[in-house]
Amino acid sequence: MDVVTAVTARRQAPERRITAPGPDMRPVAPAGTVACPSCGRRSVADRFRAELNVCSQCGHHARVPAVERIAQLADPRSAQLLDGGIGDRDPLEFDDGTPYPAAVARARERAGVDEVFSVARAEVGGVPAVLASMDFAFLGGSLGSVAGEMFTRGCELAVAEQRALVAVCTSGGARMQEGIASLAQMARCSVGVAAVAGAKLPYLAVLGDPCFGGVSASFAAQADIILAEPGARIGFAGGRVIEQAAHEYLPDGFQTAEFLLAHGMVDMVVARQRLRPTISSLLKLYMA
Amino acid sequence: MSTATETAEREKEAFARVELARHPNRPRALQVIAGGFDGWVELRGDRLFGDDHAVVGGPAWLDERPVMVIGQEKGTDPMTRALHNFGMPHPEGYRKAIRLMRQAERFGMPVICLVDTPAAHAGVGAEERGQAWAIADSLLCMLGLRVPTVSVILSEGGSGGALALALADRVLALENAVYTVAPPETCAAILYRDAGQRARAAAALRPGVDTAHDVGLVDELVPEPEPGAHAHPDVVVAMLRGAIVRHLDALRDVPIDDLLQARAARYRAAGG
Ligand SMILES: [Zn+2]
Repeated sequence: MDVVTAVTARRQAPERRITAPGPDMRPVAPAGTVACPSCGRRSVADRFRAELNVCSQCGHHARVPAVERIAQLADPRSAQLLDGGIGDRDPLEFDDGTPYPAAVARARERAGVDEVFSVARAEVGGVPAVLASMDFAFLGGSLGSVAGEMFTRGCELAVAEQRALVAVCTSGGARMQEGIASLAQMARCSVGVAAVAGAKLPYLAVLGDPCFGGVSASFAAQADIILAEPGARIGFAGGRVIEQAAHEYLPDGFQTAEFLLAHGMVDMVVARQRLRPTISSLLKLYMA
Repeated sequence: MSTATETAEREKEAFARVELARHPNRPRALQVIAGGFDGWVELRGDRLFGDDHAVVGGPAWLDERPVMVIGQEKGTDPMTRALHNFGMPHPEGYRKAIRLMRQAERFGMPVICLVDTPAAHAGVGAEERGQAWAIADSLLCMLGLRVPTVSVILSEGGSGGALALALADRVLALENAVYTVAPPETCAAILYRDAGQRARAAAALRPGVDTAHDVGLVDELVPEPEPGAHAHPDVVVAMLRGAIVRHLDALRDVPIDDLLQARAARYRAAGG
């Protein structure tokens, strides 16, 4: 599917009452406006979307749906979404009151995407790339077997067509409903990353809010170059878990993108408006 | 539809399985090293920040051949449990493991990893020093290591903290061990926002190593004499030693490039 069509289809999806720019934007009266989740400022939804879901008052970077991310980063009309076509898995036949397939169906309806990962063949600044983008609105961006398979296919496509790999990572971590099969995805995705590295193709990761657990501890941290969005919370264990488990005092700004930059874990913190030009100049250097 | 009593029974049974895997008398990594290997020399430190006691490692003899043995150690009494941080490694532990694996590769020593951790440590220091990055590096390191590798899930394989040392050519597991995406307490906190519902989480997660075997993360379950490894630690260590030697002998005959290809194909398919 063409990305523009996909984004348009998404915006016209009947279950979405307004053209909400992101899952964490609460629809508020009057219709067609959204409120910044950080400062509460109201903006016209279309305008907010044109500003890449960044609040013009406080600079808060609100979440971006996976397909819209691809549209933001790819050169105009260059992106071609890959067909998923991967059947659903339920390795544990998980049912703790809500059967897992029902949870997936509901997530699909709410998020307007088939699964966490949307993967596209695209160009960024004229450089051929594979864009793999995660949707936090789909079960918290959790890493299940379909997501793992999609990411790995993205890696293999990059190798087959000599493209750079760009992954936008936003995830709460493992998908608990898939249990140990979810853990195995960290291994599977690492095989994909190793293939890209072996082909001497650059792999660039953009870490959005939030990025934790099995995603941060595998392909998000394995990139050659790691960019993070301002204010994004990134880490292995969540702050709440750390407070409860270790009864530790959390320092100011703990696990923010800026904190990780200061501790040497990411290469740069990049405002969303600068992401496309930054990625484009980097890919040109590494694909010269 | 199961009745409430059946559900309660199933949950109790599942959590009992987790508790058996956590039995304090099950053989720990240092016991397996002492009883299964000869002349182990402990090497310490990650050369970057510190020395993590939750991960121990160094070269030893196995069947008259040098190997590199790395283990997650939980400790055996209150003092050693605290010293080893209950087997929960900091980034330094994974980076020490990576250093020793790279060293083993240079000297052609097979690598044996003994996995026994509820999870990687969750704490401020661990986050500041890149826990996620350390685990992610260890995964890539194990995938590319140009020597044969064998991992053993001794008792508890929890989260990426266990997987980081378990991407081997052969993964063995003691039959009463558990291998999970996260400890049941954490799963319950995530799924139900209540760590107290750990039995419910355990039942839903199917924590036994047989499930890990089904999804391709474990190759062989090593049987434990009744009522379990905690009652016969020495017998179990001897059986483990035999199993490790048998697998290493088979792996040594495989050309290293074929081994790496098979390793990649195997983890490419893991998890369905
Ligand atoms: Zn704002």
